[in-house]
Amino acid sequence: MSMSDPYKVLGVSSSATDEQIKEAYRNLAKKYHPDQYAESPLKELADEKMKEINEAYDAITAQRKAGGQRSYAAGGYNPVGNNAASGFRDVRSLIMAGRIADAEQILNGVPPERRNAEWYFLKGSVLYRRGWLEEAKDHFSRACQMDPGNGEYSAALNQTMNQRSGVYGGYNPNRGMDGSCNSCDLCSSLICADCCCECMGGDLIPCC
Amino acid sequence: MFGYVRPFQSELLVREYEQYKAVYCQLCRVLGKEYGFLARFSLSYDCTFYAMLALAVSGQEVCEEQGRCAANPLKKCRYLKADGEAYQKAAALSVLLTWHKLQDDREDEGFFKSFGCTLLLPLVSRKAKKAAARYPFLAELSEAAMKGQKAAEEKKAGPDECAEPTALLLQGLFRELAGENRGQATALEQFGYFLGRWVYLMDASDDLKEDAEQGKFNPFLLRLGLSGKGQLSQEEIRSAEMACNEALNATAAMLLPPLNLMDLERFAPIIENVAQKGLPEIQREILFLHVKEKRRKRLSEKQLSQRL
Repeated sequence: MSMSDPYKVLGVSSSATDEQIKEAYRNLAKKYHPDQYAESPLKELADEKMKEINEAYDAITAQRKAGGQRSYAAGGYNPVGNNAASGFRDVRSLIMAGRIADAEQILNGVPPERRNAEWYFLKGSVLYRRGWLEEAKDHFSRACQMDPGNGEYSAALNQTMNQRSGVYGGYNPNRGMDGSCNSCDLCSSLICADCCCECMGGDLIPCC
Repeated sequence: MFGYVRPFQSELLVREYEQYKAVYCQLCRVLGKEYGFLARFSLSYDCTFYAMLALAVSGQEVCEEQGRCAANPLKKCRYLKADGEAYQKAAALSVLLTWHKLQDDREDEGFFKSFGCTLLLPLVSRKAKKAAARYPFLAELSEAAMKGQKAAEEKKAGPDECAEPTALLLQGLFRELAGENRGQATALEQFGYFLGRWVYLMDASDDLKEDAEQGKFNPFLLRLGLSGKGQLSQEEIRSAEMACNEALNATAAMLLPPLNLMDLERFAPIIENVAQKGLPEIQREILFLHVKEKRRKRLSEKQLSQRL
């Protein structure tokens, strides 16, 4: 996209205040932030969008003589990286290049007795990129069981567990949809509190 | 198809809700016009979402029109008309999916239901052929999805493999909307893959208890080692539902990033509402509030008849 109108890129009118522009930029930067796309074929598109809004923001700030140029470092968190001690360097570079099918083919050719923790981690990464999230989780868990001290494997497992908890999308049962507390919650909490008190010999609600 | 992809109404602006309704009513009207009165009954939230996304991506001009509801002539309706093929494609998709579902039901269900299906099938077949002739890609995609799903379920595969055909269906449908725009195609197909996966997994979660009782195949039962146990205990159901919810959360987490990258010319707040609030709300209703399938059906039929 050519940078014809930086205001349009940020979705604000040219009469917007500096504050409004900053907020629009922040919201978009959050949307396009590379961290979310490290694991996916969307990375390129996200980087492109990020670059667009950075340029737009820079152009506006320059126009408004607000001084400071800003740039955002791209390149987010990516669980599969180069690892000198790796037994599967070829697989790692294939994954990093986005050649998932080739990586999987090599992994599947590894005989069962040679499948170590790293194999499970890499196979999990391949499954994750294909969207097979259940089996990816199983493989990451296995990798962590086999090599509990490995930071790379536990980071991958942590990320999948966080996604499963519902903090990044979906429904998190431990946190109400809007954080409200309805009468049902209140009653059940009171009853729970009463039970606890009774266990300890006290009583919160005398009638029950 | 399943009716799980819909907005969380109380979080929509009134204006947005009216737009959504107007798209819904227009799709119903197009269904009636192109495929006959019976086809209106295939109207679903899922196909409405597809029409909406098609309009949003293409940026096609839309215009509102007042009219009377076909089912209830006393009621006035708003219709959001548009040039282009968004509604036509959605209507064809709706007919094709209903046809596949009827065929499926005829094989799976008991005598009376299958009797009903057999009666309806020739009528729907004719319409489905018309839809397939008009949009061969829709016919191919839906056919492949149904076959793939059947094969995976016969194989008694895990949730990932069973969900893939539905995921690929939506991936293909949404990719087509991007046309020649390759960047957008990537975002749309990623969004489609995970939305389709979510729909399949939600359906499997919804059927979990019933499948356990009737000894039917369900990928979650198999994964959790509960298949063949018959009636499940309360704790078993509870923990199975938590596992389903986690799988759905993981999937929902993957469909939001591509949504951020999609260029939506209109309806962006409604589409975001569906993905960010509508889907979690369905998870909550089904897995935590246990809004019974029947009640939901009754509700949606009531809403449908109000709108028609």
